[in-house]
Amino acid sequence: MTCAEFQRVLPDGIDEGWSAQQKSHLGSCSACSSLVEDLNAISREARLLRACAEPSPRVWDSIADSIQEIESELDLVAAEARALQASEEPSPRVWNAIASAIQEMDSELELIASEARALQASDDPSVRVWNSLEIALRKEGLIRQPRSEHSVIPFMKRWRWAWMVPVTAAVLIAVGFLNRTQPSVRIADVTPPKPPAAVQPLSSPEDQQVLEAVSRRAPALRATYEDNLRSVNAYIQDAEESVKSNPNDEQAEQYLMDAYEQRAMVYEMALDRALP
Amino acid sequence: MTDARKPSEAKLTEAEAIERAKQGDAEAFEFLYNLHKRRVYSLCLRMTTNTAEAEDLTQEAFLQLFRKIGTFRGESAFSTWLHRMAVNVVLMRLRKKGLPIVPLEDTIETEEETPKKELGAEDISLAGSIDRLQLQRSIDALPPGYRSIFVLHDIEGYEHNEIADMVGCSIGNSKSQLHKARMKLRELLKTSRAEKAGKP
Repeated sequence: MTCAEFQRVLPDGIDEGWSAQQKSHLGSCSACSSLVEDLNAISREARLLRACAEPSPRVWDSIADSIQEIESELDLVAAEARALQASEEPSPRVWNAIASAIQEMDSELELIASEARALQASDDPSVRVWNSLEIALRKEGLIRQPRSEHSVIPFMKRWRWAWMVPVTAAVLIAVGFLNRTQPSVRIADVTPPKPPAAVQPLSSPEDQQVLEAVSRRAPALRATYEDNLRSVNAYIQDAEESVKSNPNDEQAEQYLMDAYEQRAMVYEMALDRALP
Repeated sequence: MTDARKPSEAKLTEAEAIERAKQGDAEAFEFLYNLHKRRVYSLCLRMTTNTAEAEDLTQEAFLQLFRKIGTFRGESAFSTWLHRMAVNVVLMRLRKKGLPIVPLEDTIETEEETPKKELGAEDISLAGSIDRLQLQRSIDALPPGYRSIFVLHDIEGYEHNEIADMVGCSIGNSKSQLHKARMKLRELLKTSRAEKAGKP
């Protein structure tokens, strides 16, 4: 190992210890060993310099003054705090100010509460919300329009029997009346014939099916049932158009439902009569 | 406030003094000051080489100590806590003054700093005969950056990782600076000895 090589490792070796090779160089090189001895001596002597200097008394005097200053400031703050705490009751003016502030706050809170209640009452969303919602639901098939193309029996099962009582009564009265008057007066003589263009055809297969059933069992009632079905269908058509033009009109919806129910009842009565 | 020059709290322990100082006891402050003033002042003096500034820094360090003593939880020795605080106060002052804590030329090996091969020259060994006063003067003559690292390591006994943390340099940098500082001191001491020997 050369002196240059040794001096390169000197900064680490002097504090962390020497390898065998470095020790060997130190043993053979007086310059490097002298250098290491000097550096060790400097380091050793430097440790003795720690805390060997005494500060001047001025230092403590200054510190003491500063501490005293801080303490007196703290005392002053504490005294003021105590004075505030122990001070007498505030003047009536202060109390009046506080009372009026409380009153003002109270009325503001009341106003806020009433506004909040008003907000609660006005929480209904705009009509557009339901419109959009309904359109989306219909697109997804979650809302379906009642369909007249359904088969007769399942369709009829949807309607309640309670509606049948008055309608049945009315139809029976009409049938009885027609049966009694048929020999002397022709229906065609009593009721002026409608122009062919105004008569709506009964194109629904259910209608045709029902009328055929009526024809088989009570041919005399076919015209009555045909008339009834025609007027019910016209009613349904009107109601459907009304719902289409105003989908949010609950009354129109209700009319449409009633019309469907009427048709269902007519079907039921016709079939009931037609059954053997 | 009693006179700090005549400690009268002989029976007070450091731990008791710390607890009392936390409560604002002036005598406890004074006791702690007397216990640690030499070490703090010496540190400040070595780092600044100026007595007035060292006194100022000592005062600042102790005032900071008294302000923060409420936060001392005893996780380290009180002296360690205090001296670290003092070192930070000094380093902060050096930074404010724009003095380099780590030399800018720390990676450049100048001819002056490189150990010389003194072939043919009479080698004056320092070992065993270093004059303490001369050593103090030589330390004062060190460039501020070298001096900081030397004081923190060789005098105050901080490890290189602690110095790196406090000063804001790498551990390798700290080691390098220390070596250069020692080499410089050796040179200064030898020069001084040679001058002394040359005088009639």
